[in-house]
Amino acid sequence: MSSKHIIQFVLRFCAYSLVSYGILASSAHAQEKPIINRAPVAKDYADLGKLPDWSGTWNPNISDQFNQVNTNMPPWKPEQAKVIQFQLAEEKAGRPAPLFTNCLPESMPSWALITHNSIEFLFTPGRVTILGESDSNRLRRIYTDGRAMPDDPDPTFHGYSVGHWEGNTLVVETTGIRPQTYLAVSEAVGVPNNGDVRVIERFHLAGKDIMHDDIEIIAPNVLTKPWKTTREYFRQRARKYEIIEGVCLEGSFSESKDQAGNDIFVPIKYDVGGNRIPPQ
Amino acid sequence: MTLAATVFRLNNPFFLNHEMNPMKTITNLFKLALFIAIGVVPFAVNAHHSTTMFDRTQVVTITGVVKEVQWTNPHVAIFVSGAVKEGDEPSLWLMEMTSPGNLIRVGGWSRTAVKAGDKVVVEFFPLRNGGKGGALKKITETQTGKVYTADIFAQENANLEQSK
Repeated sequence: MSSKHIIQFVLRFCAYSLVSYGILASSAHAQEKPIINRAPVAKDYADLGKLPDWSGTWNPNISDQFNQVNTNMPPWKPEQAKVIQFQLAEEKAGRPAPLFTNCLPESMPSWALITHNSIEFLFTPGRVTILGESDSNRLRRIYTDGRAMPDDPDPTFHGYSVGHWEGNTLVVETTGIRPQTYLAVSEAVGVPNNGDVRVIERFHLAGKDIMHDDIEIIAPNVLTKPWKTTREYFRQRARKYEIIEGVCLEGSFSESKDQAGNDIFVPIKYDVGGNRIPPQ
Repeated sequence: MTLAATVFRLNNPFFLNHEMNPMKTITNLFKLALFIAIGVVPFAVNAHHSTTMFDRTQVVTITGVVKEVQWTNPHVAIFVSGAVKEGDEPSLWLMEMTSPGNLIRVGGWSRTAVKAGDKVVVEFFPLRNGGKGGALKKITETQTGKVYTADIFAQENANLEQSK
């Protein structure tokens, strides 16, 4: 190799190194750059008026929830099916499994499947929020600002939800659900979802005051195939039916007074089934 | 195993199915019995439960006086001092119901609809275990004749105010 070739080689090496460094550096810079949610403008608020009217309080069709336990059971894997059959028998015998007696959130998708309490929808620019009645910590943030689903969202009870509008239907994808939470079909029948759950929902009006949530649940660790169901809600507009605060743990306490006359909460005892212990 | 861990396992539906070791099962059942017997029920254990512990094939009626109303989520409770048969010595009964929000929708309830001191007739589905409690079906205030029901399915229509 001549000295000319050696010089050319060194120069090329340096050039490639600089280019590579530049690419890496700009890439790293891009990754570190925080994504800023832009401030909404007047048009964003005006556009909310083009969305369907989902105002009011929506209470669930509980009878249909119960009926679907018999008519539309999820395709459980064999191991989970054994547990479900055991729980169904126990519930029938008056010994319901205390799945939710610890007051942890029912979580997604069980909240959508089994809640006996009302929900409401809030539209704001780039987001739909669902608030629940049965526990003040029950809410879902559904981002409709066009963002992609994160690659690896932090697992939470209600998951990470991204939505978009297809006409008057809100299509929502939810992932990032904690694997310990139950996939339940009633308050006493359900199993831990064991992770990798994905939920696709299509919220739409099925009548003037009827809401349907068409749900597809992909839970590969507990189901043999995706499961589809629909949950129905009834709209109430009377002010007396508005959602009221419902703190689950509130029921664990009764009102009392301390020695100084202050109003206080005192814990009360429950049986393992979740009922207050009757007077002896 | 700690008590907390035992409670967790009792709440885990896999507890009875994955514990295939008979000795472990017996041990855990013993812990369950001990757990109940000593009455150490952590106050975090409550709420959001199925209601099949009540026998819905039976309806019991008591006549008495309301002693206390606990208007709380997720289950409202009413304590009634009453007797099943006229002339019997009254005793204290515990009536469980659904949440305040549901009661308002199903039966016109409010926080003050039923108050301590009210004379009432209560129909309820009794606890299967024979305890002095049940799921309230209907309560009638004898002095005013007002009736409140607690059927959770009675709210399954839109615009309920038009049908109540």
